[in-house]
Formats: sequence, structure tokens, C-alpha cells
Amino acid sequence: MRKYLGNKTAILLFILPALLLYTVVVFYPVVQVFYRSFFDWDGLSEASFIYFDNYIRLFHDHIFYTSLYNSAVFAVIIAIVQITIGTMLAFAVAEVAMRGRKFVRITVFIPVVLSITVVCQLWLAMYNGEYGLINKLFEMLGLHYRQDWLSNKNTAIFALAAVNAWQYMGYHFALLLAGVKSIPESYMEAARIDGASKMKAHLSITMPLLGETYKFCLILAFTGGLNAFANMYIMTSGGPGTTTYTLTYMMFRSAFRVGEFGYGSASAAFLVIECLVVTLIINKLIARDPIVY
Amino acid sequence: MKLRMKHPLTNVLIWLYALLSIYPLFWMISYSLKNNNEIFVTNPFGFPLHPRFENYKTAWTSFNVPQYFMNSVIVSVVTVVFSLSMAVLFAYAVARMRWRFSGAARTYMTIGMFVPVQVIMIPLAILMRDFHLANSYLTLIVPYIAFNLSFATLVFYGFFRGVPVDLEEAACIDGASIYRTFFSVMLPIIRPSIATMIIFVFLAAWNEFPIAMMLISKESLKTLPLGLLFFQGQFTTDWGAMGAAMTIASLPTLLLYILFSEQVENALTVGSAVKG
Repeated sequence: MRKYLGNKTAILLFILPALLLYTVVVFYPVVQVFYRSFFDWDGLSEASFIYFDNYIRLFHDHIFYTSLYNSAVFAVIIAIVQITIGTMLAFAVAEVAMRGRKFVRITVFIPVVLSITVVCQLWLAMYNGEYGLINKLFEMLGLHYRQDWLSNKNTAIFALAAVNAWQYMGYHFALLLAGVKSIPESYMEAARIDGASKMKAHLSITMPLLGETYKFCLILAFTGGLNAFANMYIMTSGGPGTTTYTLTYMMFRSAFRVGEFGYGSASAAFLVIECLVVTLIINKLIARDPIVY
Repeated sequence: MKLRMKHPLTNVLIWLYALLSIYPLFWMISYSLKNNNEIFVTNPFGFPLHPRFENYKTAWTSFNVPQYFMNSVIVSVVTVVFSLSMAVLFAYAVARMRWRFSGAARTYMTIGMFVPVQVIMIPLAILMRDFHLANSYLTLIVPYIAFNLSFATLVFYGFFRGVPVDLEEAACIDGASIYRTFFSVMLPIIRPSIATMIIFVFLAAWNEFPIAMMLISKESLKTLPLGLLFFQGQFTTDWGAMGAAMTIASLPTLLLYILFSEQVENALTVGSAVKG
């Protein structure tokens, strides 16, 4: 048996395709990002090694700070909105007595399977200052609150975050629902018998037991927020001005618009580290062993 | 029953959110059946009063929608087939076979899950250029396959670990080769997880945006998410047809979800078990 499962030729045949492709297309580029961030390079001609100059320039670039701020705002908004609403909906839908739970479940999840282009185009139309649905809605309610949501530099980043939060809330909802369902009913029953209200029982029993799920949701929301790109690219092009830039957008512009591949790599490298640190912090904050019932 | 009576407000909020969640989609589908006048002036919110199915004909014939659609199909299908084949082989070797570096190989593969695609855009673009893959289907397919490997491997790994070793022993005693054992004993057993991963990878490939946007410039190679982006500026005059094109683009994933809603939810959330 040992020999049977230790067949060297078979092992090589099985692992090589995946290993090669992964190494060349995923792993090698990550190494390249860090390596190239120390060069002055336009992607074509000879690169010249410039030590930490790209990073020094990055830390003096005011767009870098705008990007950091935007990523943070974006990440915090989507994390709060998605996880709060997701939790409430998951608790409600887990209730057998709720009428139409199947319908709610499907409607809430549908935006997740739509393409981000379609979602952004839809919201572009809805946000539109002249004929957008949202302004029309305010008009119908008799409010004079006409706004050009995406061209106003105070509202733009929030408007973008709302779109992302709206689209992927269903994902967090499904994760949390799966978590809630995996908790044995006896826990809840015991709490109810002891006289805890439904709300109280959820707060002190269900939510702590969902620790692992919350950890996953938080990591997802934060890394997703820090990496945000498509929403900005499609809906505002980073504007008005540079007010909705994120690090990814900055990297994209440096490399593919201005031809500064080295500088773009530096922002990408910074982003990798940023995501890593955030993941570690979340892991530290919600440190617990997986629960086996 | 009592509970529902006690919290009417919660219920109202839930239904309001469900409405908010579905309304934009409803709005898109209904404006795909309207003309500009109805969309902007006479009936912006409700059902189309005189459904104009010719919008779909316009979308299908005058924009490049059939081309984009075909490209999306080709790219997604090839991605699903190859990424899952490679991942399932790799996962088997790591989960069941005995060799010294299997643990290391698995860890190495897992790193990929923590690499956001956007971050390696620059080296990836250069890599595709140097391999002369730019402006061919492969410029999308190769990265898509590679990026799905880590996750698929991990999911399959979990399933393979749950299979009792007796099965392989029996097959070995019966004189089946390791290849035979893999294809006719192990693969059928993990079939449910393969179905799950087909859905996952298909959705990911069909909706992928950043890689397509940065690596594809040729009109004839654009996938739907990319194609839809560029005709907004060009054809703003005909909103109905644009809505129709967006509806067509969303149809495959919507149908997939409505037909297999539970499997899709499981497929997309299977990650919570392995990540984090």
C-alpha cells in the first residue's frame, strides 16, 4: 500500500500541471511585484535599480493618502453594512415560522451573481443627477434634495461603497445563515427555557458561537474594500479629481496610463502588506478555535 | 407564530430590504422593454406598459452582444474544465498519496488564496506580453485557470481527506493501477464537490472584470463584463436596447442561480470552511 500510494511517476503527473501554472502565473508575479518596486521602469526599456525611491515618493504623494483614506472608508462602510444587515436577515430567515423566507433568501442573494459591470451601470443610471431614479424618488416624496451623487466629492466615495455593500450583502448573509444553521437548536432552546428573550438569546448565544464566521466575513469585507477597483473604474474613474482613488486604482493608473511600472509595483506591494496586516489583526482580535458540536 | 406577531417592525424592515435588493434588477428588466420616453418621463418606475421586445433584437443584432456572449462562454467553459482537472489531480496527490513534500506543496498552493488579483496585474500583463499570449483567448484563460487553482485544490483536498483509505486498499488488492483507482473509484466519490466547484468557477469566470479590463483591448476578444462597459458611452441614445443587452448578459448566471439556488449558495460559501 505504501508503495502503491507512493508511486513517484503518478505523483509527478498529478501535481506538475497545477504546480507549474500556479508558480508561473500566480507566485512568480507576486515576487515580481516586490522586486520591481525597487526599480525605475517603464515596462519596456532597461530598468534601473533605485533602492527605496519609489516608496519614498509614495509616502510623499498626496494621492496615496487620499487612496488610503478612501480604502479605509470603503472597507469600514461595507463591513458594517454587510455584516449588520446580514446578521439580522440571517436570524430572521433561520426562523422556521417566517413567511416567505425562501423568497427573501433568493432576492437578497441575487445581486451577488450579477456581473459587477451590470451592477455599476444600473447604479450609474440610478444615481444620475438629471434623470436618476434616486433623485426622482426624492422628488416624488416632495423633497428638494437633487444631488449629483457621483460628481460631488463629499458623497462620491459613500455612493460607491453603497453599491458594493448592496451587491455583496447577500454573500455575507448566506455565510451567516449557514453559520446559524450549524448551531444545534438545543442551545437556543436552553436559553429560551431559562427565560431569555429571542433577542437576548441571539446576542449572548448565537453571535458568540458565530465567531469563526464573523472572522471570515470581516476579512472578506476588509480585504475586498482595500482592493476595491471595479466600482471606481466603472463609475467615477477615480474622480471627481482624485477623490475616489484607491491603491489599486493608483497602481492601475501608474502602470497602464502613465507607464510607471516600478512606481505602480510599489503601491501594489504596499497593498499586499496592508491586506496581510489587516488579516493578521482580525485573526488576533477574534482568536478562537473552531467549535465542533 | 407568536413571534411573528410580536415583531411586525422587523418583518417590515426585512421585506423593505428584500425590495431594495431586487428592485434595481426589476427596473433593469422593465426598462429593457421600454422606449426612452417611457424610461425617463412617462413611466420610470413601473412595469412596461407596451413591452417592446424589439429592444432585444436591436441589442442582439446591432451591438456586439453575440460576440461578447460567445467569448464569455468559451473563456468560462475552458476555465472550468482545465482549472478543475488540474486542481483535482493536485488535490488527490496531496491528500492521499504519500510523499515527503506533500504538506509543503499544499501550503505553497494555499498562499494563492491570499493574493488579490489586482495586486499582480502589472507582472501579469508583462508575462502575457512576453509569452505572446496578448490578444488571444489564452490571455484570459491562463490567468483564470491559475487563479482558481488554490481555492479548488483546497476544497477538493477537504473532500479527499474524508474518504476512507479502505477503498484504495481494496482497489489495490483487486489489481487496479493508481490511475484506474483515481478515475473510477475516487472521482465518482467526490462528484458532489466537483459540481459545487463547477458552479463556483463558472460564476467567477463569467463575471470576472479586472483582468479582462487590463489585458484585453481587441474588440473581438471582449467578454460580456468588458463589452457592456464600453457601449454605454457609444449608445446612450437607446437605453431600452442597452437594458436588453445587460439583461442578456445577466441571464446565464441568473438562471443558474434560480434553478440551483441552494447549490449556488453552497458553492459560493464553501470557502468559509477553508479560509480565514
